[in-house]
Amino acid sequence: MADALLSFDTLTLAYRTPRGVLRALDGVSFDVAAGETVAVVGESGSGKSSVALATMGLLGPEAKVTGSVRFEGTELVGLDERARRELRGRAIGMVFQDPFTSLNPSLTIGEQVAEPLVYHQGLSRAEAHQRALAALGEVGLPGPAELATAYPHQLSGGMQQRVLIAGAIVCDPRILILDEPTTALDVTVEAQILDLLDRLRRDRGLGMLFITHNLGVVNRIADRVCVLYAGRVVEIGTKEAVLARPSHPYTKGLLASLPRPSVEGATRRIAPIPGRFPDLVHPPAGCIFATRCPFAEEACTDRAQVLVEAGDAGHAARCWKHAGLPGWPEADDVPRAARAAATEPLLRTENLTKRYRRGRLGGGIEWTRLAGVIPWPRARSETVNAVDGISIEIGRGEVVGLVGESGSGKSTLGRTVLRLIDPSSGSIMFDGADVAKLPDDALQDLRKRAQIVFQNPDSSLNPRRRVGDAIARAVALQTSVPRDKRRAHVEDLLDRVGLPRAYYDRYPHQLSGGEKQRVGIARALATAPDFIVCDEPVSALDVSVQATVLNLLDRLRDELKLSYLFISHDLSVVAYIADRIAVMYSGRICEIGPAEAVLSPPYHPYTQALLSAVPLPTPGAEKRARVRLRGDRPPSEGQRSGCVFHTRCPRVIGSICATTAPPVHEPRPGHRIACHLPLDELMRAPPAFDDVPAEAAE
Amino acid sequence: MALYVIMRLLGIVAILAVMSVLVFAITQVMPGNVANVLAGQFADEATVRAIEHRLGLDAPAHVQYWRWAAGILSGNFGQSIVMERPVGPLVWEAFLSSALLASIAFVMVAVFGIVLGVVAAIRQNRFTDHAVSVFSYVGVSVPEFFWAIVGIIVFARYLDWLPSGGAGNLSQGFWAWASHLVLPVLTLTFTLIAHVSRLTRSSMIETLRSNYVRNARAKGLPEGVIIRRHALRNALLPTITVLAIDVGWLLGNIVVVEAVFSYPGIGRLLLFAIERHDLPLIQAGILLIAAVYCLANLIADLLYAYFNPKIRYGQIES
Repeated sequence: MADALLSFDTLTLAYRTPRGVLRALDGVSFDVAAGETVAVVGESGSGKSSVALATMGLLGPEAKVTGSVRFEGTELVGLDERARRELRGRAIGMVFQDPFTSLNPSLTIGEQVAEPLVYHQGLSRAEAHQRALAALGEVGLPGPAELATAYPHQLSGGMQQRVLIAGAIVCDPRILILDEPTTALDVTVEAQILDLLDRLRRDRGLGMLFITHNLGVVNRIADRVCVLYAGRVVEIGTKEAVLARPSHPYTKGLLASLPRPSVEGATRRIAPIPGRFPDLVHPPAGCIFATRCPFAEEACTDRAQVLVEAGDAGHAARCWKHAGLPGWPEADDVPRAARAAATEPLLRTENLTKRYRRGRLGGGIEWTRLAGVIPWPRARSETVNAVDGISIEIGRGEVVGLVGESGSGKSTLGRTVLRLIDPSSGSIMFDGADVAKLPDDALQDLRKRAQIVFQNPDSSLNPRRRVGDAIARAVALQTSVPRDKRRAHVEDLLDRVGLPRAYYDRYPHQLSGGEKQRVGIARALATAPDFIVCDEPVSALDVSVQATVLNLLDRLRDELKLSYLFISHDLSVVAYIADRIAVMYSGRICEIGPAEAVLSPPYHPYTQALLSAVPLPTPGAEKRARVRLRGDRPPSEGQRSGCVFHTRCPRVIGSICATTAPPVHEPRPGHRIACHLPLDELMRAPPAFDDVPAEAAE
Repeated sequence: MALYVIMRLLGIVAILAVMSVLVFAITQVMPGNVANVLAGQFADEATVRAIEHRLGLDAPAHVQYWRWAAGILSGNFGQSIVMERPVGPLVWEAFLSSALLASIAFVMVAVFGIVLGVVAAIRQNRFTDHAVSVFSYVGVSVPEFFWAIVGIIVFARYLDWLPSGGAGNLSQGFWAWASHLVLPVLTLTFTLIAHVSRLTRSSMIETLRSNYVRNARAKGLPEGVIIRRHALRNALLPTITVLAIDVGWLLGNIVVVEAVFSYPGIGRLLLFAIERHDLPLIQAGILLIAAVYCLANLIADLLYAYFNPKIRYGQIES
């Protein structure tokens, strides 16, 4: 293609390691044209970020790059460092994943956006500043002049990402490379950023290379998709072709392992991709995916696979037998175990509150009167209501999903009910006894019966302790299993979470992310608890692994009659596993009810915004109407009057929202919505999911 | 900010008040008695008692403390028992000579420590880096009096370039004055530089790997600008804190260095006072050192806040 802006031709990236040569990328070829968005999709280890860094020339000196990357006809591989630096930031802009750490904390926003102009275009500082203000306005930031003098920590994550985008486009590049630009953001903010990127592409005719693991985001933004697996392009084609008619087994598997936010998921396990990621130092002969592929046969392991045409123009898959393949094997239907109805709940909180006081160094001093007379200086501090009067019940054998944006207090609530954090006020009834005010040394029973699985298995396992010993320690501390039976007991637990018994003697670094999370679950099960708080247990995992861990949690719930408080920012995950869903905003619950009731109208306006912002991987679904929230900040302490959501709610009806606590509607038993809007008004919201297939079919 | 400084100064006053009680308590329980020292080895009991009475040492401890503390509050630090001169000017003069020594050493530690650390970080795992590592390990692992003695043997005895001790006077000419400072300053610097350069190196390496430095590279900025503008400022924040802690080390080392080089500073004065149980001198000297340490930490905290906008500014509303 002569008109390609950026073209990769058999790009290969190798690292020398003590075990041999590791090929992180192997023969990657594709093009990006002006005004086009190409998404590079893959899981961790697929090499998707290496594609971006190779284009920018930001790989370290130890990386050996061969093949070709051409930008407007100029060969980038082997170009000298000075010429590459000229291109970076001027002709090729890049935005990284984590806005919170990608801005320099000690330089003002204005300086950081303006500086490429000074070095690339030789503008004076004043001229550069003016251009920076224009760029800040273009990315939709209010009051650029004021904002330019602010420092990064004063901005929310969404604003920081907009600043990074402004810095990347300020020199009018021809192409923008985005490496997971929305992964660290909340779903409603992600939707705003995706809108912005789409507008920039249209206004400026930018080519975009969009790197992501999220197929829903791909569906929202991409024109074409390039699926990477183990450093090889396994499938490439238009978004419609790849997402609606996936040809390569890996793409089929990726799509199948996504939990869908529909009611149907409640009775069906997700179909995961079995097996482990291949070793890239000694990759398997023949097809790289064969060991995990349900359709593999002997011929697959004989010779390396090449991309072959798959029907539509430009659609190709690296699989010789893709033409006749059926869909990914469906997972089993598992009838959901009926809940014991109307019994006393296992856990009930009443008006549970956790307040933090945050002192501010240099925030000023208040003079107060000690004992009414003596002047006494105090450092000024602010109070944060992390959990603000929450009453929630969790039945025996029930899974309650807790969703909300970051900072909404989900994790604090989860840790407070376990007494890992002491509540400020309110009660926590666990199996009929109030544990909220028990002294720490009287919590033995709660510690044994209520456990937690953390988000990040890397940091929650001691790297110097063998996996079995980590689990055995919980057994030794909390149970009466005799010393000589402990090993057998732990091995039973490993069986239960689907790990080989031999893993007892392994160290955490020898395990994959999904396996580590299984160890985390086994450790939580060690005390035979009734109740587990799952705090974002699958958020750090790749989708194919996430599916197996979700299935495991679901199966254990049925087998062991466990109750979960399942905390996640991902509505699709919660919709899959939860019986009931609670939606949390700024420390309060704005809607709670049976999963199918919360996922269909009537919605609380915040639930509606959350649901409509979830990027779905079904082509057509990206066109559904979205509810846009105002701003991206939770209310400040002074704005917490009335309904806490009033500062961002798109459906505010007047000052009543800011002054009066909202009434609670109960459209059906157990489904409660706290909102000033009348119920029939809430009813009128369009369903967020059910109409999708119909629309897509049109 | 002004209020914050006032609060901190009030805090320092409180710390010094507590320190004064502690110092006083220690001098009370110290074995030995200044009256015995003054009276000489063969004095009889009555003479000692008479001296004690004259100095007010026979009064109850709290009365003694009150007399002392009240004196300080009215600007009178008392009378050195052994030297029979007012403590105030005595300590102040010694303090000024020490401050000269310490501030030159401190500036050298800061400058060379930071420069060596930054260079080692930029040339990570190359020859320069390893050379700096070896240099700083040798410096930190050998006690300073050893280097002091090596310095005297080499530069004062064999080469005869520098005086082996004492202090010079500017009236004798600049070199005569400065030559007395060279060996003490080098000794103090050598042992502390390792601290600062090791820490600056690791903090600089961490900063150079940070996401915002990667982002600055993606903007196509020249490497020099990235190091100066983006990395250095953030990498030096932890160094500020360590420099303040090193002021404490410096004050400890200075006692040893002044003793070895017979330099007439506060360290040697203190040593002299402790050997002879000269209580007012000990008390004033230690209080002064505590005050210097507190002030150094206050300055470090203020500088930290100055260079770290996260402390200076709160969140803004969108």
